[in-house]
Amino acid sequence: METRVQHILLAASLLSALTCFSTSVFAADEKEKNNDGELGKIITPDIERRHIKEADLDSEDFEVGLYTGVLNVEDFGSNMVAGVSFSYHITEDFFAQVNYGTSKTEKTSYELLSGGVELLTKDQRDLSYYNISLGYDFLPGQVYLSEKWHFNTSVYLVAGAGNTNFADKNYFTYNLGAGFKFYATDWLMLDLSMRNYSFEHELFGIAKKINNPESRLGISIFF
Amino acid sequence: MTRFLKITIAKCKRSLGLGIYVLGFASLLGSVNVSAADFWSLDWFEKDAPIEVTVNDAFINVHNAPGRGYPIFHVVERGETITLLKMHTDWIKIKTARGIEGWIKRKDVLLTLGPDGIAPEFADSKQADYLTDRFELGTAFGDFDGAQSFNVNLGYRFTKNLSAEVRLAQNTGQYSDSQILAFAILHQPFPDLRISPFIGIGAGTLKTMPSTTLVQAEDREDQLLQASIGAYIHITGRFFLRAEYANDYVLTSRNTNQEVNEWKLGFNIFF
Repeated sequence: METRVQHILLAASLLSALTCFSTSVFAADEKEKNNDGELGKIITPDIERRHIKEADLDSEDFEVGLYTGVLNVEDFGSNMVAGVSFSYHITEDFFAQVNYGTSKTEKTSYELLSGGVELLTKDQRDLSYYNISLGYDFLPGQVYLSEKWHFNTSVYLVAGAGNTNFADKNYFTYNLGAGFKFYATDWLMLDLSMRNYSFEHELFGIAKKINNPESRLGISIFF
Repeated sequence: MTRFLKITIAKCKRSLGLGIYVLGFASLLGSVNVSAADFWSLDWFEKDAPIEVTVNDAFINVHNAPGRGYPIFHVVERGETITLLKMHTDWIKIKTARGIEGWIKRKDVLLTLGPDGIAPEFADSKQADYLTDRFELGTAFGDFDGAQSFNVNLGYRFTKNLSAEVRLAQNTGQYSDSQILAFAILHQPFPDLRISPFIGIGAGTLKTMPSTTLVQAEDREDQLLQASIGAYIHITGRFFLRAEYANDYVLTSRNTNQEVNEWKLGFNIFF
């Protein structure tokens, strides 16, 4: 009788051990498959395996700016000029720039002295110009204002061509200039520059080549 | 909205042919509706996930400003993780794990590994990387039959050899001003050459505006055919010079057509 009880107990214990083992093996398999266990949580990194492309990174090669200054139009006085500029920085050395500016011109000395003579109507005295120019940052540098502050700067040359609309006519205009850029931050820039616009007109009856210097101060942002 | 659609669909199902039709339309509406909801729930000011890479070279020099002459004030070493902040021309602003910010050369990013263990994909400054699937924007100055011309062109490069472009020109002459709007196709037989020749044909309109000083002259508009030959000269990266000679054939309303020689020099930028 005793042995029979022992047999039953042994069989029961064996059976329970077997089932226990088999379930644990199964569970281990599951864990390996899904990495769901405690260990899996530690090992599996919780990061996105992304691939980085050039387009993911924000590039700040475009620049838009406003400027104001003084434009001297030969024979027609020195007047305030205001304009917008749009630039694209092609490399660290070169940039392409589109400028559009407007100004109002004064009466010539002849008109003032002669009394009643008017060479141009009021609307014809408005001047506007546009040009596309290529700039070259040829003296890049830095200024150190204190122990903590340093700012990037650049002295640049710029040349290009475009059209000037003056006295109801377009004049093909070359421009040449130089300027100083002061980068307040990576994306904010102050610009102090001089340009010379030259074109030929026949407003006084004969062809005359004129040079119109402009000095201007601008502020630009990069985006 | 969806509930309304469901009811509408149920009603329309009565007539089967129409029902299917409306079902398609409704599902289209529904999808638009969902994407619109996504659109409004977008957080425009949400910060992008930082772009982190690991240095995979002995070291990378960090300059204190984006320019080749600016001093190297820091070095990031192999295994160090850096965050790419932004790009300015050929330079990339980075931030180290310790919060040091500086600029590395754009090509040095190829010496790093992204989270997927592959170097980031950046076009290098070689000419070959700018030859296909690119927009090009350019300007040129030159001579149009004695008048000074100012040109702008916008093109798209389909293959290495073939591109199409729209041209705008403002010609300023002594006796008349004119404007050209033309469409042209260019072919480059040897696009990989540093100085790569091209031929092109185009067609467009020429608007001539005689000077107001001339007596009783009227503006006129003529058709124009162009044949051109020229060359792209690769300077660096996306920057090319372009020289071109064009022979324009103006189909005038007068008895004879007019032939105009045009040459121009300018630069083009590839995007």
